[in-house]
Amino acid sequence: MGGPNREDDATVDLELIARWQGGDQRAASEIVERHAQALARFAASHGVRDVVDELVQDTFVRAFNSLESFRADSSLRTWLFTILKRLMLDRRRSERRASNRVALEEDHAVQEFNALDGMVADEALVRVQQAVARLSPLQREVFTLRVSEGLPYVDIARIVESTEGACRVHYHNAMRAVKEYLNDD
Amino acid sequence: MTDCPNGVMRDQLPGYVHGLLSAAEVSIVDAHLEGCEDCRAEVALLGKARVALSLGVPRIDVASVVSVLPAPPVTLRRAPHSTSRRLAVAGAWKYAAAAALVLAVGSSALWHRARGTTDQHVADSSSVVVPETTAAVLPAQSEDGITFGGGLSDLSLDDLQSLLGQLDSVKTLPSTNPESMTPIISLKEGGKSL
Repeated sequence: MGGPNREDDATVDLELIARWQGGDQRAASEIVERHAQALARFAASHGVRDVVDELVQDTFVRAFNSLESFRADSSLRTWLFTILKRLMLDRRRSERRASNRVALEEDHAVQEFNALDGMVADEALVRVQQAVARLSPLQREVFTLRVSEGLPYVDIARIVESTEGACRVHYHNAMRAVKEYLNDD
Repeated sequence: MTDCPNGVMRDQLPGYVHGLLSAAEVSIVDAHLEGCEDCRAEVALLGKARVALSLGVPRIDVASVVSVLPAPPVTLRRAPHSTSRRLAVAGAWKYAAAAALVLAVGSSALWHRARGTTDQHVADSSSVVVPETTAAVLPAQSEDGITFGGGLSDLSLDDLQSLLGQLDSVKTLPSTNPESMTPIISLKEGGKSL
């Protein structure tokens, strides 16, 4: 993929970064505005909804502190997703050490996902959420990035530290699993 | 709901839903969708899943995120006026260096002057012999008739005016091949040559 809209987005991001590096604080607001919700969706898909805003904030702080190291060989959004992914892994590890409890299991994630969304969503959307929540963590990551953000496989591979081909397989397996879950109704 | 066997086309569908495809790609997908019920169902599912994944996600407060971000790096650089200040500092150093040089040259000159006086005193106790050949090189009167010897303070006003009048006829350029001068000086102390 990598269509014209995506290239335009990348250009806008680079211009905003240059403006911020030139002292324009408003450019930082625009960068956060453009990417905050996408990061929040990704964090929420990992079942960490209670700390989503904290994770997103930490992601931006870390990103802006090392913005000079951003090489633009990937899009800014992909880079931000990579930072967020590392933060979530760090958090999960520290939680495991601190409480000596097993990390959130898939079934627990399903329950948490449903409990929050069942109140506001219609039946069909809840069923899709349930289907996504039943995916393996890696499938769910790939599916979320592909469906929710429209990222190309090459960027998803960067974020989940896998290969482009493996991500394609994970996506199609996830899509098939979601369809099967919905067809069982 | 089944899967379309056209995997390449199915890979395009998320980008199609997000409006990320080029116009040419969109028309290809549109043409495929007209005859493919599986892909039409998948496009509908993608739209639904996109909404479902956004539900319950907290709205991020942009202002609070921005408030904890580091300041832009440019604020850590020098203020614009600091360039002229830097130049002023550099100028001050130049003046200081020039003053130090003048002091050094001046002190050196004073020191040599004082030493010359001392040497003169030393010379009084010895004798400086200038060979006649060397002495002959220094004429008492130049070709232009200007007489050397004595100080200007010894001259009267008329003499000075006359001297100034004669300066007009002085050759300003030195000879291109000056005669070689090798002063031979021997100091004698206690009757012995050094």
